[in-house]
Amino acid sequence: MATKTIRVDYLARVEGEGALDLEVSDGRVTSAQLRIFEPPRFFEAFLRGRSYLETPDIVARICGICPIAYQMSAVHAIENAFGASVGGQLRALRRLIYCGEWIESHALHVVMLHAPDFLGYPDGIRMARDHGDAVRNGLALKKAGNELIRVLGGREIHPVNVKPGGFHRVPHPRELLPVAEALKRASELARDLIRWVATFPFPDFTADYEFVALRHPDEYPFNEGRLVSSRGIDIDIADYDSEFEERHVAHSTALHSVVKRRGAYLVGPLARYALNFDRLPAAIQALAREAGLAPVCRNPFQSIIVRALEIVYACEEALRLIAGYEPPDAASVPLTPRTSTGFGCTEAPRGICWHRYDFEADGAIRTARIVPPTSQNQPSIEADLAAVATAVLDQPDEAIRDRCEQSIRNYDPCISCSAHFLKLSVHRT
Amino acid sequence: MTAPHKILVIGAGNPDRGDDGIGAMVARRLAQLLPADIAVLTRSGDMLSLIDDWAAFDAVFSVDAAATIGAPGRVHRIDLTAGALPREIALTSSHAFGLAEAIELAQALRLALPRIIVYAVEGHCFDAGAAMTPEVAAAAGVVADRIIAEIATLRQEAGEVAMHA
Repeated sequence: MATKTIRVDYLARVEGEGALDLEVSDGRVTSAQLRIFEPPRFFEAFLRGRSYLETPDIVARICGICPIAYQMSAVHAIENAFGASVGGQLRALRRLIYCGEWIESHALHVVMLHAPDFLGYPDGIRMARDHGDAVRNGLALKKAGNELIRVLGGREIHPVNVKPGGFHRVPHPRELLPVAEALKRASELARDLIRWVATFPFPDFTADYEFVALRHPDEYPFNEGRLVSSRGIDIDIADYDSEFEERHVAHSTALHSVVKRRGAYLVGPLARYALNFDRLPAAIQALAREAGLAPVCRNPFQSIIVRALEIVYACEEALRLIAGYEPPDAASVPLTPRTSTGFGCTEAPRGICWHRYDFEADGAIRTARIVPPTSQNQPSIEADLAAVATAVLDQPDEAIRDRCEQSIRNYDPCISCSAHFLKLSVHRT
Repeated sequence: MTAPHKILVIGAGNPDRGDDGIGAMVARRLAQLLPADIAVLTRSGDMLSLIDDWAAFDAVFSVDAAATIGAPGRVHRIDLTAGALPREIALTSSHAFGLAEAIELAQALRLALPRIIVYAVEGHCFDAGAAMTPEVAAAAGVVADRIIAEIATLRQEAGEVAMHA
């Protein structure tokens, strides 16, 4: 009986450090474990005893790619706890800054991290030599998203302008004019991006995911909505623990999240799209159909098309919000701390980011819980890997490894958020 | 040769990962010492956005940590005008696009690049939350002084204002 090991010492083009072990027996994958060994980062512990006022700036440090997601979930949870509501133009500005994060995060992943898998390049740099225009356009998209975050957030990485109740400062409409011009160009570039990625060769693979996402009565979700699933879950975000649980697993420093009654579930672009297709404007729906997407897409490799579609949506939504912008009278609404518990759940680029905080009477945090998207997707990533690898087991180890890496990147995993290097070992017996 | 006059200094790296904080430490020091018309930035992680920023400058000094090849705190000066980053100097980045990749991408896209001078300080420990190794921290002043001297030389060649420092 032969035993073979394939090892990838460093999986590039993901955020974070982890490893993958495949166990192969009798021509079948018997175990696929995504091992996350990045040290625990203890953000929930850091937050204990800190003022609610410090929370947005602390949680922004969880991730350099999606800090807005952490800030937004935190401020919504704080306002939920203190009985405050943020509406009107402040609400619109929050949605606007989130558009910036989707644009920059998706553009980076689609063009620089994921596209090389489909075109047979080892990385985005080598791809740039042959597909210079696509890379230049991707960088321009990313820049447009970053600029939106910079104008509203004060700086593009770890922005500092978000506060509980609103913002420290709101922009003058003229500050948004050059951003709008860049977004108009970005929207055109993103349409070209959809057409480009739609031509990629996609593996013939689908999975019966339970999609989980926010759903809002009127909007494609960013900041608000009920938590719904493709198998009937429809709950207030405060009831997350009634349907979902986090489990410790020996091979990961990140917790695994599952639906209590069923197991793995999927969050992120495919889930948002499937559960909210009817919330997309007709023009965006038409773009999806032109790209060959049905209203529900179960091929995880085609998530690259959905991300490109969400870039167009975010550009158009941002332009709509800027066109309707009138500076509010105050940059934030006043909050009065109280002994309380609050919940926040928003749609990070990679999926729902759920927060819960217990506060003391003075607004100090007693306990904090943060459930990031990548830890929720880990069981689905492992299930995909087992299925994807099984389909190519007759191929050389190099091909198995490449397909597994591509499959992991379908999720745009942010391992740093969930708990960085990924080693792949295939053990054959 | 036209001497450079628009100058950018970048401190690269994650200050929360031990010796990876040397770039930020040098940048903080230089922000206090250099004239206000010299831009000083810190960058942790993603360097892609620098590709556009470079276009506005004639010279860029970048300070980053490097994987140790024998002597923590040892300073390497690499003028990329003279060639690529030597393979044995692996700048540390836990993210997908660090400085070396950003430069390589700009070259692949045939974008105009300024003169880029990299100061790489060999590190020892890059663990999350770790303190900086004393030998690495001690190199901050050395690197800052060398960059101040280089900028002064560049500006004197261009007949520009005297350095404050």
